[in-house]
Amino acid sequence: MFLGVDIGSSSSKAVVLDEKQQIIATAVINTGTGTHGPEKAVMAALLQAKLGATEIKFTVATGYGRITYEKADKQVTEISCHGKGATFLAPQARTVIDIGGQDAKIIRIDDTGKIENFVMNDKCAAGTGRFLEVMARILDCKIGELSAFARNSTQEISISSICTVFAESEVISQLAAGAAKEDVAQGVHQSVAKRVAGLANRIGIRPDIVMTGGVALNDSMVATLSQELKQNIAVVPFPQLVGAVGAALYAAEFYRKQLVKTLL
Amino acid sequence: MKQLNNLITELETAAQYPSRTVQQAMEISKRPAVGCFPYYTPDEIIYAAGFLPVGLWGGQSDIMLADTYLQSFCCSMMRENVEQGMKGHYDFLSAVIIPTYCDTLKCICENWKAAVPQTILIPMVYPQNRSIQAGIDYLVAEYQRVQEELEGISGRKITEQKLTDSFLLYEEYRTLMREFTILAARYPITINAKTRQLLLKAAFFMDKKMYIQKIREICRNLENFPAESFDGKKVVVTGILAEPTGLLDILVENKIAIVADDLANSSWQFRTNSQKGNGVLEKMAYRIADQSGCSLLFEAQKTRGQLLVDLVKTTEADGVVVVMMKFCDPEEFDYPIYKKELEAANIPLLYLEIEQKMDSMEQLRTRVQSFAEMLDD
Amino acid sequence: METKKTSKELLSDLLNKHYEEALAAKGRGEIVAWSTSIAPQELLETLDIKVVYPENHAAAIGARKCAQEFIDQSEGVGYSTDLCSYARVNLGYMTIQESIAGNIPLPDVLFCCNNICNTVIKWYENIAKELNIPIILFDMPFNHTYEVSDNSVRYIRGQFESAITQLESISGKKFDRERFQEVMRISSDTARWWNKATSLAAAMPSPLNGFDMFNYMATIVCLRGKQEGLDLFKLWAEELEAKIAQGAGPWKDQEEKYRVMWDGIACWPYLGNTYKVLKKHGINMVTSTYPDSWTIVYESDDLDGMARAYSSNYVNRNLEFGTDNIVRLVQDFSLDGIIYHSNRSCKLMDFRQYEVQRKVQARTGVPSVIFDGDQTDPRAFSLAQYETRIQALAEMMEQEKQRKEA
Repeated sequence: MFLGVDIGSSSSKAVVLDEKQQIIATAVINTGTGTHGPEKAVMAALLQAKLGATEIKFTVATGYGRITYEKADKQVTEISCHGKGATFLAPQARTVIDIGGQDAKIIRIDDTGKIENFVMNDKCAAGTGRFLEVMARILDCKIGELSAFARNSTQEISISSICTVFAESEVISQLAAGAAKEDVAQGVHQSVAKRVAGLANRIGIRPDIVMTGGVALNDSMVATLSQELKQNIAVVPFPQLVGAVGAALYAAEFYRKQLVKTLL
Repeated sequence: MKQLNNLITELETAAQYPSRTVQQAMEISKRPAVGCFPYYTPDEIIYAAGFLPVGLWGGQSDIMLADTYLQSFCCSMMRENVEQGMKGHYDFLSAVIIPTYCDTLKCICENWKAAVPQTILIPMVYPQNRSIQAGIDYLVAEYQRVQEELEGISGRKITEQKLTDSFLLYEEYRTLMREFTILAARYPITINAKTRQLLLKAAFFMDKKMYIQKIREICRNLENFPAESFDGKKVVVTGILAEPTGLLDILVENKIAIVADDLANSSWQFRTNSQKGNGVLEKMAYRIADQSGCSLLFEAQKTRGQLLVDLVKTTEADGVVVVMMKFCDPEEFDYPIYKKELEAANIPLLYLEIEQKMDSMEQLRTRVQSFAEMLDD
Repeated sequence: METKKTSKELLSDLLNKHYEEALAAKGRGEIVAWSTSIAPQELLETLDIKVVYPENHAAAIGARKCAQEFIDQSEGVGYSTDLCSYARVNLGYMTIQESIAGNIPLPDVLFCCNNICNTVIKWYENIAKELNIPIILFDMPFNHTYEVSDNSVRYIRGQFESAITQLESISGKKFDRERFQEVMRISSDTARWWNKATSLAAAMPSPLNGFDMFNYMATIVCLRGKQEGLDLFKLWAEELEAKIAQGAGPWKDQEEKYRVMWDGIACWPYLGNTYKVLKKHGINMVTSTYPDSWTIVYESDDLDGMARAYSSNYVNRNLEFGTDNIVRLVQDFSLDGIIYHSNRSCKLMDFRQYEVQRKVQARTGVPSVIFDGDQTDPRAFSLAQYETRIQALAEMMEQEKQRKEA
């Protein structure tokens, strides 16, 4: 049995994989690095799998909190893990787009499943989940509602500023001028889509394009991004678990390599 | 081995504590110091005038005062310099030379007059049309003007002999440093990424005469050992400077060695020797005319991409790491051009955005580690 | 009988002609140049080499609100958002080569003069590399001293001579020194008329609505060496003089309440918005640092004088000169306030703004505001911020007015 743990800034995920590469258990806890979230996620997954901790042969940690997670045998970045997890769940994937809470990443995979290149944005809130959170607050709703509003938009409104602070003032101005919440919400989604598309152009996208990470659950975001890139985008099943799945797959790989080494 | 380690530690420490190193160098050499802004200054003339040229390449202060003069989208190295100047850290210098190669430097030089009025400022403008005769003549005249200003400050004329000796010393330094970087590439464990960069950085704070003695000894010691086998990744680094030091720690952590560099504060300083010219000032001018692949000097052929491709081939490096100093326009313009050339040559490229003072290393760590993992597969 | 055209109509005709002729010349297989905005166009004019100005083109693209497409193109190949948006637009256009704001032919030779900034050196270096064409650089060292040094003049003059040789070789034509003198004479005269026309805005009330001046800027860039340019500015000056004689202000429908200087480039994608906000408060932009920057005058046989004149524009001068310049504008144009555009694309102008603002404030007491914007990137401007700051300026100017009247 192998364990993958993805410790983000606001959530912790755990996945248990067996020797046949079947996913036996998964868990998501809504607190991240620096809290008991990682332990809780691991415990929940083990409980689900009806396993004791000693039955785990190898643990890989990924995500923001991977360095400080002491129980990992190895740590691997979320870029590698999202790449590996995505190709496992969607073997045709050649471009992986992950819009996370704090960053956005585009990963290019080659035909053998290896990572070819990647690009990240982590300096600026625009183009990340944080932007959607900030705007949701201004529109006085939850992220889920933001997505629903966007779906019902009838008129195009442009929120063009790259700077989140300027964009906030744009949103407020629009609302003050009587714009519909639905249209503003769609404008916000379009703004994120444009930033992410800009990032994607820098390394070039190749089908099949797949989205991972929590924001992939936002169907308005997926649709808007697809429109912006003029490409189909598939969402990997259980997108927020992709990192942990990839970590668990790495755990299996490292264990096998270790075994081979000891046999020689 | 112990002697080698001592030498290395001595220079690493010198690089990490610039203030102290400069004070010591001033005492030992009995020279007052003249501050030199990036990228190229007439160090040979400064040295001949009896001063110690000291590199002013930013620092690690929190920016509080510089905001009075500069918007936030100014490169961190220049904001740091203004900050340090305003805090009085450069008051001990006999003069500050600011050569203005880019738009930001032009403004920094002008602001300096108001922000740091207590220092003696010597502005300079190097020619961008550096190869035509008019450009050479112009630069020689600039050198003469600076020479006169320094003579005015020291109260002594610079003799022909002193100028020649100084010039030969700097030529010797450049030749030696090229030998050193080639040698160091064979010892990626002893001269790891951090050690390499710190060793090179120390040159900015020491008397060149003493510095090259130390480097020579390090070379002699290294040559006693066989080349080190290394199971990590080798890279060529390109940009203005490979900082902050935390970044170098992350490279070492991820078993990434720097086998060659195309950095402003490292190889740019010594990769070109003087080839022709009558008299020292003309030789200095022609040397600048011969520099290539540097983002701060106009070059229609833009040979930087090819230079990087060649460096990767000769050092058998696994890839190129771009340390892009945020808000550095000349560097940001060069990037798309050499990126295309590296991609055409199938050379893996990692793009890192850096500022001199970075409070969180996590983002850099993720990218460097991902690059290492990518190269591993 | 044909009614005489107004300078505005003439301006439009001449600009269209300028672009059409360049495209036609390229079509005929003649060489075409791209040049920076304050370059020694006299050399090209003398050799009858058609030239277009990427800055003019980028501004037009920005004003037609279609810059984003070109910016996306250049950012997509790795150009940073930090870089000058004129460059990002133009480098994107170099690939796309089609725009609703009008097309320009790709160049065969580049004319790059860094008296406006060193960014153009990198920008044009890249064009030369991508298109594999020759680039002629005029390096005008920044003047850290108050006046242009003799060493700089010698160097610049040497570059003029070198450029002439290069141009002869590239064009296959002989450089006619007599024609050159004629072009020098016309260029100086055209610049004098430009200066005369823009100086008429000093009248109270001003006959010139400053944003109008932005329109004429395109022609001082591209018609300086041509008789048509001279005639245009002469006509414009006559029109303005006629308005002054009638006591006419900048607007038919309202009075000029406050007079300001706009420091920096316009926000082209938001020209309408930025103008309307000013007009709402009765604020008229009567001057900027641009009129002087194109007042390049010298004697027609004086190459040194020409070198010195080209190196003397506002952004190539030191802080002391810059401050004196603005203080003089405050006095000559009877300014009530100053608007400083902190233009995300223009570091050379921005990184001295804070100190200049302080110094000018200390010497003149005139209120001012700084706002964030960009010359062509539509994403780097907030109308709400601009409105707030202009309103604050209006309040300060009103306060100052009342204080004076008291």
